[in-house]
Amino acid sequence: MDMKRDYYEDVQLFTSGVAVFWFGLLIVFLAAFPFLFKNYYVYVANYMAINVIVAIGLNLLVGYTGQISLGHAGFFAIGAYGTLIFMTKLHLPFLVALPAAALVAALFGLLLGLPALRLEGPYLSIATLGFGLTITQVIGRINLFGGRQGLHAPELWIGPWHLDSDRDFYYLLMTLTVILALGARNLVKTRVGRAFIAIRDADIAAETIGVNLMLYKSMAFAVSAFYAGIAGGLYAFVLRFIEPEIFTLLMSILFLAMVVVGGLGSIFGAITGACLLSWLDLQLRNILSIPYVGDWLEALSKSYFSITGVSNIQFIIFGLIMVLIMLFEPYGIFGFWIRTKKYWKTWPF
Amino acid sequence: MKKKLWVILLVVAMIAGLGVAAVAEEGVTDTEIHIGQWGPQTGPAAAWGSVARGTDAYFKMINDQGGIHGRKLIHHMFDDAYNPAKTMAGVKELQEGTGMFAWVSGVGTAPGLAVKDYLMERKIPWVGPSAGSQHWITPPQKNLFAVYPLYYIEAQALCRYAVNNLGKKRIAMAYQNDDYGKNGLQGATEELARLGLKLVASVPVEITDTDVKPHVMELKNSDADVVLLWTSVSHAVRLVGTSAAMQFKPQFMSTSTCSDFPLMIHISKGLWAGVIAATFGELPDSTDPLLQKYKKEAFDKFAAKDERWGLFYYAGILFAEPLVEGLKRVGRDLTREKLVQTMEGLSNFKGIGGSISYKPFDPKDPMSRQGMKEVFLVQCEADGKGKKLTDWMEIK
Repeated sequence: MDMKRDYYEDVQLFTSGVAVFWFGLLIVFLAAFPFLFKNYYVYVANYMAINVIVAIGLNLLVGYTGQISLGHAGFFAIGAYGTLIFMTKLHLPFLVALPAAALVAALFGLLLGLPALRLEGPYLSIATLGFGLTITQVIGRINLFGGRQGLHAPELWIGPWHLDSDRDFYYLLMTLTVILALGARNLVKTRVGRAFIAIRDADIAAETIGVNLMLYKSMAFAVSAFYAGIAGGLYAFVLRFIEPEIFTLLMSILFLAMVVVGGLGSIFGAITGACLLSWLDLQLRNILSIPYVGDWLEALSKSYFSITGVSNIQFIIFGLIMVLIMLFEPYGIFGFWIRTKKYWKTWPF
Repeated sequence: MKKKLWVILLVVAMIAGLGVAAVAEEGVTDTEIHIGQWGPQTGPAAAWGSVARGTDAYFKMINDQGGIHGRKLIHHMFDDAYNPAKTMAGVKELQEGTGMFAWVSGVGTAPGLAVKDYLMERKIPWVGPSAGSQHWITPPQKNLFAVYPLYYIEAQALCRYAVNNLGKKRIAMAYQNDDYGKNGLQGATEELARLGLKLVASVPVEITDTDVKPHVMELKNSDADVVLLWTSVSHAVRLVGTSAAMQFKPQFMSTSTCSDFPLMIHISKGLWAGVIAATFGELPDSTDPLLQKYKKEAFDKFAAKDERWGLFYYAGILFAEPLVEGLKRVGRDLTREKLVQTMEGLSNFKGIGGSISYKPFDPKDPMSRQGMKEVFLVQCEADGKGKKLTDWMEIK
């Protein structure tokens, strides 16, 4: 069915006319989105897009290269602080400051990638965890970064264009997200992407056929950190205020959960995983306003979890959804998508 | 002909209806006033969640007694888990979905700062952010009314009392290395300079520090006889405990954030006894008639079964009092602009906290938007009760 007969067939961006059609439709929908929905949903879309960028980058590392990271909140923080510092102290324009900060994050990724050469699995996750925790501590103690008082984002100008609403920012964010998603898809189809996948599948075998492990493992970290850095820089402008305590371990874990729930080793999976978990993260606080179910959950929460019944239940539901996805669809949402596709292709047999 | 007349009448009625709808203020109807609030019920700051629940009971009490000029207060409260991204989402959803007339309280500096610009750009009144940060009034904002007395006022009051009433000369400070701690440090330094003294030691404490022995050692070496604790509740308890273990017994003094004495006695296993704290609200067992009224008519009637009557709970009432007073004074014809104008006229308004006054908006005067400037000092007794040491004192 998906048999490839030609190298160019494998590297082309879109596999069929149908894919091009749906991609076109998606772009049209994204362009029309702010006019179809209320401003609040535009903010939610912005929040999702930022997580999508991080998840795509993290998936290149975890899903494609098989290296785990629990420190992505650290790269995210570097991107956020770097962008603001470059803009306010060095007076660089936003479009220069953002990639510059992301490059700094990539540099840290590269440095973290070096010790990671000797570490695997749980050992690597602890090393990256340490990195994530250290970064926020260091940032909190440096006065240039505002210490624990945090930093305010300056007004955002791109040339003559003043981005002062969620809607303005949405277009910038979507453009970058689409470019970065396509960039990642291109990357995994090139020589570099193949090297990543080879390392994930069997690193010793990969080395014997000439893949430079040191180069590609640290490159995977650097690229992944670059994505997180870009996302962090954009996040600083969505919130317009940042402080070290925002970039917690929980954030790193949520990023990882997005990738795993979405489906490891798939760009589509990373996007859907990020969208789903961001949506749940923001929306579950409204769970108690669902008719009947909400009342029942509130009563349950009041009798077992909290005296007011306004809260804890959302985290239980959040955890439950993740457990169920992993239990019934170990390949995540992407696995579900593949199965659905197969079902329809062979239907009615 | 008759049909045409009906159509014309209908159109006229619709246009008139639209006109009325356009004039009415957002979040206000004939029978309701919508007020928004966030507060962590989960996450690292869940202990302060009772602030929002206190406000909720207070609004229910007001509604129970007939509301304000025939309108009920509709309280929209959500859990942001102390995460600014969630605060922003919740505020936008409520503001753009239901439409809030005003916002009240809201725990935390970071969550508040994330939404400050959003609310101010839309000219939405926000009363009583629940954190003593200077960010709220520097620079002052026309629609933002701070209630919480600044941390540096508390530090000044404590230093003054230590020197003038207790006759102490060697004062040291352990402060959390952030906005909150540095604010206290500034107050103490300034006040001591005025009294011709200096801090004998100032020891920064990081939020993530677990071992405070080095900090206590430094304080002990400074030979201090008074130590100001400007840290989180858990660090304050740890500092007092470690000091006791290291045979270092100065007079400890602390801020309003550590003045919930029953809680402090409980978690410090009795070591908090003797500590002097500044506080901005009446004591839980005070005989103040207004506080007793709130306990009976708000807490007893509307609080959840296991809720505790403590400082954080009725702080939710304290922060909302000026807003309610403003709404009462505006009268039936309620608009945001009128509310702001009326709030500016509040002078020596007394609720269960210190007296509150605002002034007409002056972009150069932060105090035009700082309501409470008074605190009083109280000493913790062995059973968790508080002994009032001073009356309300205003620091100028």
